[in-house]
Amino acid sequence: MTESFYAIFAMLVFPGGLFALALGLALKGLDRRLAARLQRRVGPPLAQPLYDLVKLAKKRTMVPNIASEPVFLGAPLIGAVSMALAAALVPIPGFYTPNPAFGDLLVVLYLLTVPAVALMVAGSASGSPFGAIGFSREMAMMLAYEGPLVLVVAAVALRTGLGQGGWVSFSLTEIVAYQRTHGAFLLDPVMWPALLAFLAFYPANLGIIPFDIPEAETEVLEGPLLEYSGPALGLFKVMSALKAVVVLGLGIALFFPYAPDGAAGLLVHLAKLVLLMLIGVSVVRVSCGRMRIDQAFRFFLKWPLAFSVLSLAVVALA
Amino acid sequence: MSLKQFISDQSRRMAARSPWIYRINAGSCNGCDVECATTALIPRYDVERLGCQYCGSPRHADIVLVTGPLTARVKDSVLRVFDEVPDPKVTVAVGVCPISGGIFRDGYAVLAPLSKYIPVDVNVPGCAPRPQAIIEGIAQAIEIWRQRL
Ligand code: SF4
Repeated sequence: MTESFYAIFAMLVFPGGLFALALGLALKGLDRRLAARLQRRVGPPLAQPLYDLVKLAKKRTMVPNIASEPVFLGAPLIGAVSMALAAALVPIPGFYTPNPAFGDLLVVLYLLTVPAVALMVAGSASGSPFGAIGFSREMAMMLAYEGPLVLVVAAVALRTGLGQGGWVSFSLTEIVAYQRTHGAFLLDPVMWPALLAFLAFYPANLGIIPFDIPEAETEVLEGPLLEYSGPALGLFKVMSALKAVVVLGLGIALFFPYAPDGAAGLLVHLAKLVLLMLIGVSVVRVSCGRMRIDQAFRFFLKWPLAFSVLSLAVVALA
Repeated sequence: MSLKQFISDQSRRMAARSPWIYRINAGSCNGCDVECATTALIPRYDVERLGCQYCGSPRHADIVLVTGPLTARVKDSVLRVFDEVPDPKVTVAVGVCPISGGIFRDGYAVLAPLSKYIPVDVNVPGCAPRPQAIIEGIAQAIEIWRQRL
């Protein structure tokens, strides 16, 4: 009884759900603010993403005539819920360990593909040609970055498993615990190729500028999101805010989960998230141009894939 | 004041800080568009500090900036796009063209004033208006929009 209560609490309130949403909105606000500062603008207030959400909740949702309504309105909901669940599965080192009964790293990987699929479904259900272009681009991006990501995760799991004297270990709790006793993978030269591949993966997954090709507003008018308005669009914003928390949190868990125990662990985790968002997202976002889809596809099949295969080989041999 | 009242007031106050802007070119000579698109957005006149964001899709928009004298050729498209903007919305007419036709007023294909076809809330005169004037127009539109929310 209490167990299932904690499970629901984890998904709706503390590490998932509300907490992750607040965190994600704050990170997005910081990102927009820093991006503006880097361009020597004043920038929006920190709570701007929250204002946007409240605004969207008050607007009308319009469904295009040619769209299939249940799919059109269901896609954002599924995307947002999947990310809320995923946020409950990512550990906060030293503070929160997810219940292993919910699932481990593999479940997080599966859940991470859901937002991209939701965007694809949304794009094709909207019936708009721009949505269809967004759909095909999103699919190409997913094919490109999903492979390296799986190999990176396999490398981390293998390293942890071998280090513990076993085979692979896909438990995030064990990965975090192993690094906290044996040193973070960030400082482990054997893991550097995997780290590089991961660094290429997350801007693509978060859809920020060198890789925001599916939603490029100047080319395909935000692609899959073009036909959305009001609360449905708001759900997509919720989804992307939660995704930032999940993906960055996953990066922290996989590569540098150093943290003291207790509440200080939570603070250190928040500090790392903010740092990653500012350095890894805002600075990258304002200093790059957008790639073309074929360039991005080729890039992913060249460097991140090579690095992730290399890392798997190195880890297996080391 | 009840809690419900408080929440609705607060949410309206917050929502009014996030006006998204969409531009419609109704046959403008592009002078006004250049002022809107580049000048009002460059770091010096940053409108993002008002919470504004230019959006690519009319369905995301709250404030519609219309430039140009509404030529016969684009009238149907303009009206269709305008209908795609979800309520509540505010319209700002930028430049003298939508007000009177400006230098094109004698043209056979010019249907100005714009307010005959769509409800215009704020007029920003000038040929082309200064960026400061456009920002002022947007600020007034936000005031009107706050009441409509
Ligand atoms: S008001 Fe002047 S600058 Fe603007 S569209 Fe008309 S003619 Fe061009």
